[in-house]
Amino acid sequence: MDKSDLTFVNAAVERIGGAPEKVLEILQAVQGHYGYLPGEALELVCELTDITPAMIVGVSSFYNQFRHRPVGRHIIHVCVGTACHVKGAEQVYEAFRRHLGLAEGDDTDAQKVFTVERIACLGCCTLAPAAQIGQITYGHLTAETVPTVITDFLQYEESRAQRKDRGRRLAVSRTDSCGEVRLGLGSCCVARGSGKLRDALEQALDETGVRVTVKRVGCVGMCFQTPLVEVVLPDKRSFLYARVQPEDAKAILLRHFKPRGARRISNVVSTVLDGILTDEKWQAVTRYAIDVRDEPVADFLDKQRHIATEHCGHIDPIDIDEYLLNDGFKALQKCVKELSPQEIIAEIECSGLRGRGGAGYPTHLKWSAVRRAESEKKYLVCNGDEGDPGAFMDRMLMESYPYRIIEGVAIAAYTVGADEGRFYIRAEYPLAIERMSKALEQCRRRGFLGENILGAGFSLSLKIVAGAGAFVCGEETALMASIEGRRGMPRLRPPYPAESGLWSKPTLINNVETYAVAPWIIRHGGAEFARLGTSGSKGTKVFALAGKIAHGGLIEVPMGISIREIIEDIGGGISGGKRFKAVQIGGPSGGCVPAELAHIAVDYETLNDVGAMMGSGGMVALDESDCMVDIARYFLEFTQNQSCGKCTFCRIGTRRMLDILERLCGGEGRKGDIEELDHLAEIVKQGSLCGLGKTAPNPVLSTIRYFRDEYEAHLQKRCPAGRCRALITYSVTDDCIGCTLCAQHCPAEAIAMKPYEKHEIDSEKCIRCGTCRNICPADAIKVE
Amino acid sequence: MPRLTIDNRQVEVDDGATILDAGRKLGIEIPTMCFLEGCRPSTSCMVCVVKVGGWGRLVPACGAIAEDGMRIETDCQEVREARKAALELLLSEHVGDCMGPCQVTCPAGMNIPLMIRQIAAGELGEAIATVKRDIALPAVLGRICPAPCEKACRRAMFDEAVSICLLKRYAADVDLQSGKPYLPDCRARQDKRVAVIGAGPAGLAAAYYLAQEGFACTIFDEHEKPGGMLRYGVPREKLPIEVLEAEIAIIERLGVEFRGRTRIGTALSMTDLRKGFDAVFIAVGALKTGDLKWLGVEAGENGIVIQGKTYETSVAGVFAGGDAVRKRKLTVRAVADGKEAAVAIAQSLSGQKLTGPAEVFNTRIGKLRDGEIERFVACASGAARLRPAQQGSGFVEGQAREESARCLHCDCRKAENCMLRRYAQDYEARARRYKSELPLFVQHLQHPDVIYEPGKCIRCGLCVQITSQAGEELGLTFIGRGFDVHVAVPFDHSIAEGLKRTASQCVEACPTGALAFKKP
Repeated sequence: MDKSDLTFVNAAVERIGGAPEKVLEILQAVQGHYGYLPGEALELVCELTDITPAMIVGVSSFYNQFRHRPVGRHIIHVCVGTACHVKGAEQVYEAFRRHLGLAEGDDTDAQKVFTVERIACLGCCTLAPAAQIGQITYGHLTAETVPTVITDFLQYEESRAQRKDRGRRLAVSRTDSCGEVRLGLGSCCVARGSGKLRDALEQALDETGVRVTVKRVGCVGMCFQTPLVEVVLPDKRSFLYARVQPEDAKAILLRHFKPRGARRISNVVSTVLDGILTDEKWQAVTRYAIDVRDEPVADFLDKQRHIATEHCGHIDPIDIDEYLLNDGFKALQKCVKELSPQEIIAEIECSGLRGRGGAGYPTHLKWSAVRRAESEKKYLVCNGDEGDPGAFMDRMLMESYPYRIIEGVAIAAYTVGADEGRFYIRAEYPLAIERMSKALEQCRRRGFLGENILGAGFSLSLKIVAGAGAFVCGEETALMASIEGRRGMPRLRPPYPAESGLWSKPTLINNVETYAVAPWIIRHGGAEFARLGTSGSKGTKVFALAGKIAHGGLIEVPMGISIREIIEDIGGGISGGKRFKAVQIGGPSGGCVPAELAHIAVDYETLNDVGAMMGSGGMVALDESDCMVDIARYFLEFTQNQSCGKCTFCRIGTRRMLDILERLCGGEGRKGDIEELDHLAEIVKQGSLCGLGKTAPNPVLSTIRYFRDEYEAHLQKRCPAGRCRALITYSVTDDCIGCTLCAQHCPAEAIAMKPYEKHEIDSEKCIRCGTCRNICPADAIKVE
Repeated sequence: MPRLTIDNRQVEVDDGATILDAGRKLGIEIPTMCFLEGCRPSTSCMVCVVKVGGWGRLVPACGAIAEDGMRIETDCQEVREARKAALELLLSEHVGDCMGPCQVTCPAGMNIPLMIRQIAAGELGEAIATVKRDIALPAVLGRICPAPCEKACRRAMFDEAVSICLLKRYAADVDLQSGKPYLPDCRARQDKRVAVIGAGPAGLAAAYYLAQEGFACTIFDEHEKPGGMLRYGVPREKLPIEVLEAEIAIIERLGVEFRGRTRIGTALSMTDLRKGFDAVFIAVGALKTGDLKWLGVEAGENGIVIQGKTYETSVAGVFAGGDAVRKRKLTVRAVADGKEAAVAIAQSLSGQKLTGPAEVFNTRIGKLRDGEIERFVACASGAARLRPAQQGSGFVEGQAREESARCLHCDCRKAENCMLRRYAQDYEARARRYKSELPLFVQHLQHPDVIYEPGKCIRCGLCVQITSQAGEELGLTFIGRGFDVHVAVPFDHSIAEGLKRTASQCVEACPTGALAFKKP
């Protein structure tokens, strides 16, 4: 590398500062610039700062975000979160690799255009399986659509470059327009009915009197989501709708434009429904903000109760005035003007609120412990490091209700006597970081943060720290180590953060959702909150509902609701007519609750009793085609990879458990393997140092407990769900009509084309990707 | 000041003291590998777990703060099981042999790699002591042993085995020729007498080690002179009589009495022997018809029946070894029998539990995978196996050194003070409890004095702390996360650059053989 190339490092260090705790920020800047972390750049950082080589190498190799090898121009992040996993993420990942011709061990194609990486969870579980290329998220992928995605992305990149020029001209021509509707009319769009859609749009314009122009545009690329409609508002905000049917045309127009003579239709956006994603959630996918056909809202909303998600769908996330109009900061006012810290704690105690990060520790106890701690300096931390694959509650809350979280944080800080705090937000959530930053800035401007807040003599400064991809940093002691610029290693408690936390000062650390409900509790009283829920678990809980569910999304329900109500009533049951088998609750710390137990109440204790865990609230529905041994293997693969690597039980124990699970799924199980798994699970659970290790065996223990027969089948080299690739074969039945579709689409050329004849699958070549089964019109592909 | 009980004993400790501190105050030893005074507890190895009564939880004693009212158990079944599990997990990824394959294969269990390092360093006095700890007649065996050790020698996978047998012969010959041959220290004479029947390799070896234990030994043999098959069965050109006699002379100098031309059964009966002696060791060589009648012990297909490792026959106080107890005749096996029976006899005579020699714990890499042998050879001379000028002769000085440089040092340089091995032995951990594939063998040799083998590292991070505290410019750091985390020098610099000032401190602190001195 040329020496002059390193000038960026000098500038970055100059800008960020050289204290050891800045190491993550510096590394993020360096990678942002170079695409990876060149060794020379890191050595230079060490020369320029107080950061030592041992520190920078230790830290940069700890977090998944950092790369030490040059990468292609674009990075394809294939999400392998739980929901994506059960919907075939691995096949998608392999399809990307195959399409780009990557050799084993390589992650970048020969032309250095694309680098393919797995990512633990993009937090867009309802789009599963999903992948992100650059800033664009592609959802509902299959092995088959991968080539289209690549082509689409490249076309998009090209057109984006062109648009940059054209954009200026358009802006001029549109100055007095009130917006426009763009309709993709590329060949693929036309093939999928966009001609009819255009007619429908024109008709709707006539009927409503909306004054916008419908503009044809060329292919915008996302052919598998066509027909596509892009709505561009006068302020240049743009919304994109995929798979739009003619009957949706009117609804779309009314959503954005005022019909002549009528009041503006409120911007009601059901941001929570699968298939009803808008840029409220998906700025990163603006272009693809997908599909707003107004689907079954009533069922979905009936059983919900919005506290953390109050004003769901009505409120502009970063408009502080709108927040203020909707009771924003009233709770904080009340706290600093009318209530003593003791009274606030009493209110929280009365509400029965327990930590929403997973363990369910009573919030008032934490708050009073930090309040009691004697120290001239106290810190507060908001844990937004939502690392569970299959969970996206915190992301949604941060993106949609940043002010509410800030208000909760401010109330907590006032209560415990902290004047400085950090939001620790995972870097995979750029939009959450952006919205929270904007909201913080607004709050500073309006005097809700800073010195002498609301004239009450209370000061608070808040900063955002971007995590860098380490699940273990959700553990509070690891998270604080990370904020201090160290490897995110948990440590033994006590001392608890309340006594010795950030920089050894008393520190209050709560999860995003815990803070988010605090303002409501203060405004309505703890008793009102406690009226919801069960005896031990009060109030509501936000869940991310995904997997094999008809209407996945983000829901907030009263504690104590049954699993069945969530899956069947709210979620509309299992999609695709399959049988409900189990629901995975609590991610890698949780367990699988079988359908037979769907009647149980969702609260902390009941979930623990059945071997699952509230966790942070990810719920992934599984159907009969999901293999429970594979699910256990999936989670163990995750935890052994995400273990900090400190204590023997977790570091090696989880690996040994994974060895056995890989054996079972690979058809190499040995007698005694199930007992050995049980034994290992017990010692890892009992002996591990922190919560990650202690709960890591849960997915294994719960699946052995409820689905032991599947483990035994694997010992006999059978996968009853037909999922474990080493244990299944694909074949064509006599129902084959000889249409050749399977042969045309097989990515491995394992099927020879034989028009009007029964086709055959070459088992040697077959990669068990399921493409043929999905495409066969005669249901003639058998998997055994 | 918190007061707590550990194993039902009360103790009061300072605020902030750990459970480990409290245990030490009571003199209760809690095993620990990753803890070192002066470093922050890393709570990583988890071998120090204890059970906290109130919560029923297992916590690492090195990092857990002692609290008032705690009830701690340090040695209950649950704790022992957990420690064993931690050790077995650590061993499941431990890439190393405590003892080299040569030593494991040698029937006498001689510490061959150590002997070779001593020869290489020119420390021949130490080398012969190493040899004679396990082999009473090395100059003899150096000429006639079929050297099973060389068949196991890892170097043979690369070119040819190290010439172990000739190196041993060299050490022994130099010793004999020195005029003041090595004499082991003997314990004070005890008031116990042992009769050894047969002055062949087994009998001579038993007497040699029994004498060191302080027992009065008398060897009876029907022949006029001692040596048995070595004197009367092996061709002189292979084994010159002077060599045999010189090694026997050393045994006699330890106070062993030889009575030739005394055939038990005629001159003296077994009953006489058992009256006159506290123990009897039968080492008569291959049994002849009629022998059993006068010996009065049970025999089977292979010879006299003995009890496994204790060498005791069907008659209490009567032991047997060598060719008398086994079908396959091998002098080195006979010598080994003599040594091991001596241990059993000593146990029996000093009123200890009769167990025979303790089984020592050993980890093994086992079969190497592709490319691994080359990694081993990196530490050794690339020269071909050296052959003495004349067949049947031994090495001269330069040759011995040259050949010893070919050794791959497969054994662990810290085999004697490795905590992992020690606790594995104490807790009866099974090295291959989990049959997982081991990582590939790696060694870093750039440092002049220190070798780093990451495969033996338990990730305790003591070296990381030490280098950081000492302000090493590069030092060591953890790289990666999870199962794959490892310790290395930043920016791919060599171990020599990482350990400029703290090498010996790190070696001392390292609980295993991951960081070790190259020299013996």
